[in-house]
Amino acid sequence: MDRILSYFDMLPWFPENTSTFGGELDSLFAIIYWISVGIFFLTFGILGYFLVKYRYRHDRRGYNYHGNNVVELTWTVLPTILFAWIGLYSDDIWERTKYSSRLPQADVQVLVMGKTFGWQFLYPGADGEFGRNAYTDRDNCRKLITGLNPFGIDSTDPRSMDDFTTENQFKVPVNANVVMHGSSQDVLHSFFLPHARVKQDVVPGTWMNIWYNIFKTGKFELACAELCGGGHYSMRAEYEVLSKSSYDAWVDKKVAEAIAARSPQPTVAPSADTATVASLTK
Amino acid sequence: MSTATIETATPVAHEEHAHEHHHDLPWYRKYVFSTDHKVIAKQFMLSSLFFLFIGGAFALFIRWQLAYPGKPVPVIGSILPATWVTEPGSGIITPEFYTQLLTMHGSIMIFFVIIPFAAGMFGNFCIPLMIGTDDMALPRLNMWSFWLVPPAGLIMLAGFFTDTGYAAAGWTSYPPLSAMTGLEKFTISGQTLWLISVFLVGFSSIMGAVNYVTTVLNKRAKGMKLFDMPLTVWALFITAILVTLGTPVLAAGLAMLFMDNFLHTSFFLPDNLVTSSKYFGGGQPILFQHVFWFYSHPAVYIMILPLMGIVSDVMATFSRKPIYGYKAMVFAIAGIAFLGFIVWGHHMFQSGMNPLLGTTFMLSTIVIAVPSSIKVFNWLGTLWRGNIKFSTAMLNALAFVSMFIIGGLSGVFMASAPVDIYIHDTYFIVAHIHYVLFGGSLFGIFAGIYYWYPKMYGKMLNERWGRLHFVLTFITFNVTFFPMHVLGLGGHMRRIYDPNVYDFLKGLSDVNEVITIGAIGLGFAQLILVFNVLYSLKKGKRAPRNPWRANTLEWAAPEHPGHGNFDRDITVYRGPYEYSVEGRKSDYWPQWEPGASKTVHHHTVAVEDDSRSFGSH
Repeated sequence: MDRILSYFDMLPWFPENTSTFGGELDSLFAIIYWISVGIFFLTFGILGYFLVKYRYRHDRRGYNYHGNNVVELTWTVLPTILFAWIGLYSDDIWERTKYSSRLPQADVQVLVMGKTFGWQFLYPGADGEFGRNAYTDRDNCRKLITGLNPFGIDSTDPRSMDDFTTENQFKVPVNANVVMHGSSQDVLHSFFLPHARVKQDVVPGTWMNIWYNIFKTGKFELACAELCGGGHYSMRAEYEVLSKSSYDAWVDKKVAEAIAARSPQPTVAPSADTATVASLTK
Repeated sequence: MSTATIETATPVAHEEHAHEHHHDLPWYRKYVFSTDHKVIAKQFMLSSLFFLFIGGAFALFIRWQLAYPGKPVPVIGSILPATWVTEPGSGIITPEFYTQLLTMHGSIMIFFVIIPFAAGMFGNFCIPLMIGTDDMALPRLNMWSFWLVPPAGLIMLAGFFTDTGYAAAGWTSYPPLSAMTGLEKFTISGQTLWLISVFLVGFSSIMGAVNYVTTVLNKRAKGMKLFDMPLTVWALFITAILVTLGTPVLAAGLAMLFMDNFLHTSFFLPDNLVTSSKYFGGGQPILFQHVFWFYSHPAVYIMILPLMGIVSDVMATFSRKPIYGYKAMVFAIAGIAFLGFIVWGHHMFQSGMNPLLGTTFMLSTIVIAVPSSIKVFNWLGTLWRGNIKFSTAMLNALAFVSMFIIGGLSGVFMASAPVDIYIHDTYFIVAHIHYVLFGGSLFGIFAGIYYWYPKMYGKMLNERWGRLHFVLTFITFNVTFFPMHVLGLGGHMRRIYDPNVYDFLKGLSDVNEVITIGAIGLGFAQLILVFNVLYSLKKGKRAPRNPWRANTLEWAAPEHPGHGNFDRDITVYRGPYEYSVEGRKSDYWPQWEPGASKTVHHHTVAVEDDSRSFGSH
């Protein structure tokens, strides 16, 4: 029986689930799926049976019967109960996943900005705080957004010294609540993590909450799931889920790089090697 | 003129007079700019079949690219226009042209095939004949309603001649992508032409709808109460109300988007976008989605409800049984139409709108599954204890019911907003769409063509070719679209040019290949229908007046009705589904034939046997 059922089992086609609410989503899918398979066989079975049993023979006649209101009521009420239950059960998961009021306490916060055609990420660095940017200070910093400064970072804010960006790749720690805030700098894009069962359209001009908690380390892919132009198919990014210690080490490394890139160049004492030509000919 | 019965002296004279006058019209008033609803219906059919092949060709290009990314298109690849391919003559489609293909495929199929076929063609052909009248209430408006369609279609196709090519933002044309072209103000792009085209086609729909409502309410034959109308007419009537209420909202959305696209306003464009376009800002992208889907969700019911009505009539005729639960069927159609206006947000679950709306739209969407289920059960009830004839029309109607069950079930998954998080914008959605629009609407359209062709042309379609067309279509249809569920569950996104970019999609390339092979077969199978339609026009067997021995009024008209339709006065004596009535020798009892009956516990019983069926052979 299990072998027969396994032929109709579409669930193995999903990529491997890696997140907490991904597991809930997959379970809900399975419930709806097996109910649908049952309804499919019931209706097709009845259909097939009737088509054979009641096929035309000229010594038979159809049965003039207009219908029965009790029967109608029954097959109205029963599906309503079934579908209403599916709806209410789904809503529980929906609220926990998408309602802002149910956003979990963030272990890690990251900003993500979609563009044609790529993804950029902003981390708050070691201090855990973002400097003023288009997310934290919308009114003042939105106008700072450019192609070179996609997050509208106000670099006069000292807290932004250790904020670092990555392009088309990002890393998160395992078993941690990652809360992202996503936007776009041009057209609609959609932040899609198939393994984590995450999808959220990102809209220019506003920020969307995206959260997930991944329980499996490894390398996975991000795809864009909203048509954004000819290069839509190419908006791929890779992300890595690391152990806490590896993640912290990576953050430290990226912070150091960011600070080094922002610091003024150290002055070198003049020497024969660095003297200007003009001074030599003095 | 066939022999008329007693009561028709003056009306026949009137009909004859009208008939002669009709012969005086020049050919372009009879066949081109005609106000006769039957001619207009055939014009809609011709136009829709033409666009079906164009939209289908675009789909085959898409399928080629998905199965064999980056490989040259076979046979015609080397002669494709240079703007479509990577290098002139390479035959390899570019990613930009790919986005034009998917946009045009969807737009043409929805606006120029299914809606004109379902509402324009069947609405025009069936309504006056099935309610026993001579023509629509507003024949000239009817003519305008058709004549907007071909120019609108050509305007959309004229995108080919612009610098930007065809529209390329999807048939849903979401801004900012559809508004931010980077072009100067007042520059006509393919997208601009698309907006004008859809705006015009909307007017065509509205004109037709106004006509249908007016005709159904005012021109029914004597004795025909509303609940004596066949379900085809009920479905078209309710669909027409949907069209009048919904289409103007689309027009508003398109007008605003046109202004953003062409005049650089900012209804939908927020400020501080990183872009080369100049515009004001302060707009809201999600607003467009609300306005667009407020129409486009009812639009999907516009595309299916008429076919549900047609399938009901075909199934009753070929089961030799009344439709099970006629009044429940009418209320279910009305229920679907009404609920259809409060579910549009289910297209926007992941759009970033307030998730509370996700909850409300999810609950209304899941409820709309109920009237659809009622209809499926009633169709099964119609088959129960019937005497089923498997004509080609019936085969297609049965395919409608069975494929609609699958399409409807897949819809439950996406109605659940959390499940939709994963399957939104994947091929699971594409599978659902095509099961309901092709497996549903298009098979329903085929059923209607095979059923009414004899009345349209006075000739029978070839049944053997009809069966061949059906079998090949049914098989290739499922080979093409069922595996798309698998693609979607694998996470395969929509509208992507090359799935091989992604590791997680690499295992699905065989599935894409199978789908493409099915699609090619499906496309070519449709040539059988076209051939049958054209060949039978001249060489088909002559059709009798009522070849299917059906009850509805259109079969009272002559074999190939002329202007004015009927050759006798029509009075309606009973409902449209009195098949296999007890106490009556004949297994059908046409609505127009006199005779008394009574209802006993859901059965109709003849008061005296009056088996003089006018029109039976």
